[in-house]
Amino acid sequence: MKQCSSPSLVGIVANPASGRDIRRLTSKALVFPTVEKVNMIERLLGALGATGVERVLMMPDLVGISAGLTRAIDGHRADRDQPWPTVDFLPMRLTQGAADTVEAVRRMREAGVAVIVVLGGDGTHRIVAGECADTPLATLSSGTNNAFPDLREATLTGLAAGLVASGAVAVEAAARRNKRLRVRCAGQEELALVDVCVTRLEHVGARAVWDPTSIAELYVTFAEPGVIGLSSIAAMHTPVGRDEPRGGWVHCAPAGPAVLAPIAPGLVRPIGIAAAGALLPGQPMAIGALRGSIALDGEREIELDGRQAASVTLELEGPLTLDVPATLAAAVGAGALQRELGTGP
Amino acid sequence: MTKQLTRDDLLKAYRTMRTIREFEERLHTDFATGEIPGFVHLYAGEEASATGVCMNLGPEDHIASTHRGHGHCIAKGVDPVGMMAEIWGRKTGTCKGKGGSMHIADLSVGMLGANGIVGGGGPLVCGTALAAKLRGQPYVSVCFFGDGASNQGTIFEAMNLASVWNLPVIFLAENNGYAEATSSNFSVACDNIADRASAFGMPGITVDGFDFFAVYEAAGAAIERARQGGGPSLVEVKLSRYYGHFEGDQQTYRAPGEVQNIRDTKDCLLQFARRVTTSGQITQAELAAIDAEVKALIDGSVVKAKSDPKPTEADLLTDVYVSY
Repeated sequence: MKQCSSPSLVGIVANPASGRDIRRLTSKALVFPTVEKVNMIERLLGALGATGVERVLMMPDLVGISAGLTRAIDGHRADRDQPWPTVDFLPMRLTQGAADTVEAVRRMREAGVAVIVVLGGDGTHRIVAGECADTPLATLSSGTNNAFPDLREATLTGLAAGLVASGAVAVEAAARRNKRLRVRCAGQEELALVDVCVTRLEHVGARAVWDPTSIAELYVTFAEPGVIGLSSIAAMHTPVGRDEPRGGWVHCAPAGPAVLAPIAPGLVRPIGIAAAGALLPGQPMAIGALRGSIALDGEREIELDGRQAASVTLELEGPLTLDVPATLAAAVGAGALQRELGTGP
Repeated sequence: MTKQLTRDDLLKAYRTMRTIREFEERLHTDFATGEIPGFVHLYAGEEASATGVCMNLGPEDHIASTHRGHGHCIAKGVDPVGMMAEIWGRKTGTCKGKGGSMHIADLSVGMLGANGIVGGGGPLVCGTALAAKLRGQPYVSVCFFGDGASNQGTIFEAMNLASVWNLPVIFLAENNGYAEATSSNFSVACDNIADRASAFGMPGITVDGFDFFAVYEAAGAAIERARQGGGPSLVEVKLSRYYGHFEGDQQTYRAPGEVQNIRDTKDCLLQFARRVTTSGQITQAELAAIDAEVKALIDGSVVKAKSDPKPTEADLLTDVYVSY
């Protein structure tokens, strides 16, 4: 099969802040250095170039990813190395916060990108998912607690993204629909992709939830044994598959029956379970009134004074994500990876 | 479980941050008159860092500071009245008027000193931390340093030493974006100072330095870890200074409106006040009362400093050597 010849466009969002929060102190989480994020993007560019992607829109940043990538592009020789797409940095004013990701994704959608590649943890993907609508995401873990994004070699993710962007594999064959949780609290609405955790910590503070005794309630879109993070509490009690049309909830207890759960890298703790059950789509569940905070995908975002009414609702209309092995298998089946040596790249 | 901040803790945090701000704003005004000898480097804007860190420390814990040291001094418990006299070069000052802004030290509260040498604090805290470790005491040492110092060999050597000796040290990088007039985006090769921790076998994290609660919790975790024998760590606090590198710096390297934008949107006192009053833990009136008390304290310190005696020639050769 011949490669699609129309110019194809891919967006890349790399969160410069992911992978360096307090969990490096409280557990054994890895530090994800900026230079490694740049290396991952270079590997992506090689795979995107090989599958015929001509142009990439990149979110800029002020802490070295853009700068490192610019240096790499300056040193890249298309005649010597494999071809890379042209990289255009979005001309946007930076706030150095999550708003940058929202703005970048909005602009990428406007520009009509076929796929957005996201480098970050659960928190980064949550922000992207709030803005990407039905643009499929190619997820790459570069954060701490990674239940949502793939922990995968970037070259393979780049190949899958390139095959979809160039039209060699249809989105329908490549992507799967995810669930999400909608939190309503005193007029505020927020989304989460994996878990909503009600904690007894009164302040947003250092954001991450790492202290097992602070966890009061947990709501999950999926809970699979074999996945790290807060959702493992539900997974070790009542698992819920990522593709099942329901979620789950757990009320934690300071004593009594408990499950052993890997709530953060290196942190395996017994968590008391008072009650647990299924979360059905479209049916809001009230969050207990307490002074504390709500964490979305592991990061405290909303402070609770004990008086607000808050609820969580499971929705089945979450973002589309590429299933990389399925995409590559579909490409092989369609002959999209076949070439003829001696007649060009 | 993470220590929850009590109402008294919140009031103390606000008072400390407000005292630092008032102290620095007053110096900014007074320095322009030319009456204050030497140089001053102001800490305004960075209050949540010193306060969030030092509220996790006791008097037996040590800190080493930088040339931008007033905030660290106040947060560690050095008397602001004595500090003001010191900066005015008076005999009643913290160091008898012989040190000035860049050499304020008060060992009685564990403050090893502001330091004119960029990156000079790293080796000092390795010393105090080693002493605590050899004596079997649960005390930690914190080295405050900036993005400029993060490129100095002394800091690298100290991080290596602290790691191989497993010392109870916290390397607290206050990244305010500029080493004098050089942007850290230009001069720090890896941009995130926290990334350097792994090279020395210690954890490194980055935290929002405009948010007291974030610094308090992150520094608290690092300090607790060190206290329990877990070894050193690197905490990078991202923040901004409201004034120049030194008083008199024209700051032509900063965009117009950069500081005002931060003052309006991220200011640590503004954020703190909004959050504790919205949650109902503290009232606006209580904060206003602290503001008034702090203003009276700082006003009084200036009046006193101006009228206090200067050191005399007879003082010149005293305190030159310390006998042990």
